[in-house]
Amino acid sequence: MIGRLLRQLPLPTGAFLVLAAAYIALKLARPVIPGSVILLYMGFVLAGVVIHVTLTDERIRRFRDFFVPAAGEETGVRLQRYGLLLVLPLVVAWGTYDATRPSYAPPIEIFQRHPTAGDEVLSRIKVPDWAASPARWNADTVAKGKIVYAANCAVCHGDNLDGLGPAAEGFRYPIRPANFRDVGTIAQLTLPYVYWRLTVGGIQNQFNSAMPRWVAPADAPNATTLHTYDLTPDEAWQVIVYIYKATGFEPRLEAEVVDHSKH
Amino acid sequence: MRRTCAVLGLIAVAAAAALLAPDAALAQGTPALRSYADPVGADSRLVVWIAAQLHLMFAAFVLAVPMFALYLECMGWRLAKREPATAARYDWLAHEMARLLPPAYSLTAITGAFLGFALFAAYPGFMGYMTNVFGPTFVVYPLFFVAETLCLYLWYYAWNRLQGDRKWLHVMLGVLLNLFGTIVMFIADAWATFMMTPAGVDQSGNLISLYAAVWNPGWMPLNIHRLVANITFGALLCGAYAAYRFLLAADDEERALYDWMGYTGNLIALFTMLFLPFAGYYFGFELFAFSATYGVTLMGGVLSWLFIIQAIVIASLFIGAAYYAWLGFLRIPGSEAQQRWVPAFNIILILGFMVWATPHTMAASIEESTGGFHPLLGALGLMAPKMIAVTLILLVLYVSYLLYRHAGRILTVPWAKTGSLVQWGLIALTGAAIIGLGIYGYFAPAHIRIQTSIWQILVLIGGIVVTFVLDQFLLAGARTQAAVRWGTMPRRGQYVLIALAFIIVWLMGLMGYARSAVRLNWHIFGLMEDTSAGAGLPSLGEAAIVITGITLIFFVLLAGSFAISGLSGGSKGAHGSERRAATAS
Repeated sequence: MIGRLLRQLPLPTGAFLVLAAAYIALKLARPVIPGSVILLYMGFVLAGVVIHVTLTDERIRRFRDFFVPAAGEETGVRLQRYGLLLVLPLVVAWGTYDATRPSYAPPIEIFQRHPTAGDEVLSRIKVPDWAASPARWNADTVAKGKIVYAANCAVCHGDNLDGLGPAAEGFRYPIRPANFRDVGTIAQLTLPYVYWRLTVGGIQNQFNSAMPRWVAPADAPNATTLHTYDLTPDEAWQVIVYIYKATGFEPRLEAEVVDHSKH
Repeated sequence: MRRTCAVLGLIAVAAAAALLAPDAALAQGTPALRSYADPVGADSRLVVWIAAQLHLMFAAFVLAVPMFALYLECMGWRLAKREPATAARYDWLAHEMARLLPPAYSLTAITGAFLGFALFAAYPGFMGYMTNVFGPTFVVYPLFFVAETLCLYLWYYAWNRLQGDRKWLHVMLGVLLNLFGTIVMFIADAWATFMMTPAGVDQSGNLISLYAAVWNPGWMPLNIHRLVANITFGALLCGAYAAYRFLLAADDEERALYDWMGYTGNLIALFTMLFLPFAGYYFGFELFAFSATYGVTLMGGVLSWLFIIQAIVIASLFIGAAYYAWLGFLRIPGSEAQQRWVPAFNIILILGFMVWATPHTMAASIEESTGGFHPLLGALGLMAPKMIAVTLILLVLYVSYLLYRHAGRILTVPWAKTGSLVQWGLIALTGAAIIGLGIYGYFAPAHIRIQTSIWQILVLIGGIVVTFVLDQFLLAGARTQAAVRWGTMPRRGQYVLIALAFIIVWLMGLMGYARSAVRLNWHIFGLMEDTSAGAGLPSLGEAAIVITGITLIFFVLLAGSFAISGLSGGSKGAHGSERRAATAS
């Protein structure tokens, strides 16, 4: 039905309506879709519209002829033409103003979901035998991990491990506490990597994450910094086991243990 | 002949550098002192980066073009007796594509020699170690390079002499050329992948098995990925050349021939692009298996935004290629029935690429930040929906090609209606299976998700093979309602072909950077750390500037080499008689 309606309209009007509808839909979507993503999506929509309009010579001619007044044309067509000729410059003008007006907001920053850790760091982290694979996780470990989690982590990450703890609302930019139930978090990671995150916290910069450092890094077990190390390494592994067990995810395991001498 | 001598001379220099420089480096003293040098006072990493990327691009071109040029030549050879006019066209096209090779080959050798000098001069410690491990391959490599060179020049320059009864000899030369070229690439791939997934050495880096060092975990995936990508790359460059010649064509006949050449280039590129994402996934799969650090670095870490850019660039490539293919319907009178499908395909393509390019983590301002993952975008930003999107896009492109085959033709087989129904039913089933597997994979653990993506690929390939075979039978004896009017493609289609060449070159530069950058601060991952001043990664913006610079240099050099190849006479000279034979059809 929408297609039939669009076909009855002059081509430029239809193209404009498709673009406007896509933009408004993306703008009205809640939660808010970031402007960078809307820009990306609109680029694709525009490409689709350009392809459609230029696919045949006849369509190009119809598109061009719309802007040339013809004798005896309907008033509706004339109104659409002048409407577009008025609206399009206004849209461009608003976009220019919006892009150049002074803003006191902090600059938009690209955020990395999983900060990069070098192999020289991760390879130093030895996973205890009792935590090394899901088959070895026992009920006692999970129970201990649950206690540690409730005491230290749940306030932000939530009792349900969904990132909706009581303190979560206090953190907004650019991310709130991780939702461990999302397939994009712990399900993507290896055990040493998750442990490494506990040793470094929100390392990217002080504004990017409020995650504290919970445990001493593997290469400096006695190190002290501004943060207090509240967890022992064993407690850290227990809580890691707990969050995997409670969410039902399994850590990403190396497909093969790389031993250079065996190849 | 003078050019041949020049190329051979350069190869000799490069080979000498390859053989002698490591010894010189090893004779310098302790590893700490001889690890790095500053030969020209410039940023060594930048010099090596530019030289390596340019060399790879020219090498990709000269490796790929003989593959499909030989295929086209064989098509012509096969038809020589039955349809001499069509055979002449294929032979002309193959020769026209091969015409671009000699100057490009010279540039491959020049950039290769420059890369060799730069590496040995700036990274003597690293190259010394690589020579210790790969010494024998450093000897074999130039030999195959020389063999490839000889075959290339003989194949190209003896084209007109080895016609008729002696055509088989010419085809054999082409086969040898491709064989040697592939071996050369495989050897170089062993060095490159050893740096990413080292094998065959002990923890201290001492060589245990050269065989294992060559056949390291990343070797075969990269070989396959490069073979396929090179063909896409070469075909699109040939397409751009054809577009350029189309735009400058003096008459309709010439325009028709170059239109056909551009169509063929785009078709080859589209066909190989079908397999490219999966070759990439296979390579990524092996990298993930080798070290989970690669997985995190590439997809969630420091290079994750690079892949958003890659997704946008690949989307532009596919959209451009699809647009060109759909414009192709205009060449066929009576293709209105097929053209009716294009709007629907266009919508699927655009929606698919919106999913494909959705970033997993957002660049958001304070006002826009919703915390954590956006419920919709966070879900679309994962591998499973992206796999559904890209696989469906490939299915749509394939169906576009099927429709093109049917345009202007009337099926005459008695079971045409049933056959068409079965064919469309199978295509729908393929699409449904792809979506079903993707949804299952979304909720499955990571290792199962990767397996479902492989099954999606197999379902797609299976669907394509079965329906294409069926199509061959369906079209048997089909009546042609209206012939393809070559040369009537709109000029905007030619500009698209030229734009596609720029996009693929830029994309290749980006992925070359990604492959090197993913090692982070390692020359050889886990074995030899990069302790030079240039060990850190540049920002994405800086990398993009360098890649753009490399792309421009490449096109300037390529345009120069094409201009040189044009001096040999082009359509009015040496190839004029072939063109006349081709247009006579």
